[in-house]
Amino acid sequence: MTPPALGVGIGWRPEIDLTIERLPELDFVEVLAENVRPDRLPESLRALRDRAVPVVAHAVSLSLGGADRPDATRVGHLAAVAQALDAPLVSEHVAFTRADGLDSGHLLPVPRTRDALDVLVANVREAQDQLPVPLAMENIAALLHWPGAELSEGQFLAELADRTGCWLLVDVANLHANSRNVGTGIDAFLDALPLERLAYVHVAGGVERDGVYHDTHAHAVPPQVLDVLADLCRRVRPPGVLLERDDHYPAPAELAAELTAIRTVLNG
Amino acid sequence: MNDEARYRLAAAQTALVRALLAGDAAPAGFDPERLRIEASALLAKRRRIVERIRPDLTDVLDTRFTELFDTWATANPRHDGISAQADAHQFAGWLAVHGHLPRRRRWRRGSRVIP
Repeated sequence: MTPPALGVGIGWRPEIDLTIERLPELDFVEVLAENVRPDRLPESLRALRDRAVPVVAHAVSLSLGGADRPDATRVGHLAAVAQALDAPLVSEHVAFTRADGLDSGHLLPVPRTRDALDVLVANVREAQDQLPVPLAMENIAALLHWPGAELSEGQFLAELADRTGCWLLVDVANLHANSRNVGTGIDAFLDALPLERLAYVHVAGGVERDGVYHDTHAHAVPPQVLDVLADLCRRVRPPGVLLERDDHYPAPAELAAELTAIRTVLNG
Repeated sequence: MNDEARYRLAAAQTALVRALLAGDAAPAGFDPERLRIEASALLAKRRRIVERIRPDLTDVLDTRFTELFDTWATANPRHDGISAQADAHQFAGWLAVHGHLPRRRRWRRGSRVIP
C-alpha cells in the first residue's frame, strides 16, 4: 500500500481555527489526537471534513520508544480519533515520554541500540494491530545523545520501517536541529531511508540560542530548514508537507506565506 | 524478543528520566551541560502549562511563582496518568499547605483566587 497524496497543509490548532478555514490554499491538516474527543469534534474540524479536507491524526503520548508495552487505552483513543475523522493515516514518534511511572511531558530520544530497536519494533507492531489505518513514525529533535549508539539515526528509522512495514514522517526541522545539536549528517540520514515509505513531512520554525538550535514551533521557518526540505525533494516527491506552528501565532498572511514557500520548494 | 531487552531499556530510561525530572545524578555517558539544558526545558514546559491553567496563582505569587514552582516540581515529578489540571491542582495544594498563599479574603464577586 502506498501513502496517499496529501499536498501542503498545516497543523490544526484551536487558536487559529478560523485562520486555517480561510487559508486560500489548504490541502490537508493534522490534529493532535490527545486534544480531540472523537465524539465531540470541534466545529471547525467538522467544517474542514465537510469540504473533504483530509485530516491526519498525530499522537504524542503513546511512548512507543519506551520499555512498557503500548497502553491499549491510548492506542484505542488514537484509533477512535482516526475513525471519527476518517483519517487516511496516523503518526507517532521514535521517542519515549515516560519511565518508572514518571511522565516527562516531552519526547525523549530512544537509545539507538539493537536491543532498544527490538523493543520499539515490538511496540509498533502491537500498536499497528490496534490501529485501523497505517502508522507513520517520525524522527524527533534531541538535545541529548545516548552513549553507545550502534546505529545511526537514519539506519534506526530505516530498520524500524523495514521490520514493521510502518510509513515514515520525516521532520526536516528536527533533522536540521539534530544536525546542529548532535551531529546527525543530513545526507547520510536521507540516504538511509526507504523513501518509498515516506507518508509526509513536517516543517517548523525554531531559533538558535547559545549554540543550541531549539525546535520551538513558535518562530518563522528558517531558510536552513527549507534547504533540508529541498534536499529531501531532490530524492523523492513527498506525498504531503505540513507546517507545524504551536505558539506565538503570526498574522494569517504570514502563515499563508510560509505555506507558499513550502509549495515553492515542493514544486521547485 | 524477550523481556530482558525491556528490563534493560527500562533501567536506562529510568535513570535518564530521574536525572531530568528529579535531580538525580546524571547517568554515565551523558553530556552534563546538555542534561542541564534539557532538564531546564522540561521544567519550563511544565511551569508554562501550570501558569496557563492557574493564572490566579501567578497573579498572587507574582515574582515568587517560578522559584516556588521549580522547588515543588523537582521534588514532585509528574506521574504517569496525572493530567495537567491535576498537576496544577497539586501545586496549588502544596502552596496552601506551606502557607505561600495569602489568607482567604472575603469573597468578592468575580474573584478568581482559589487557595
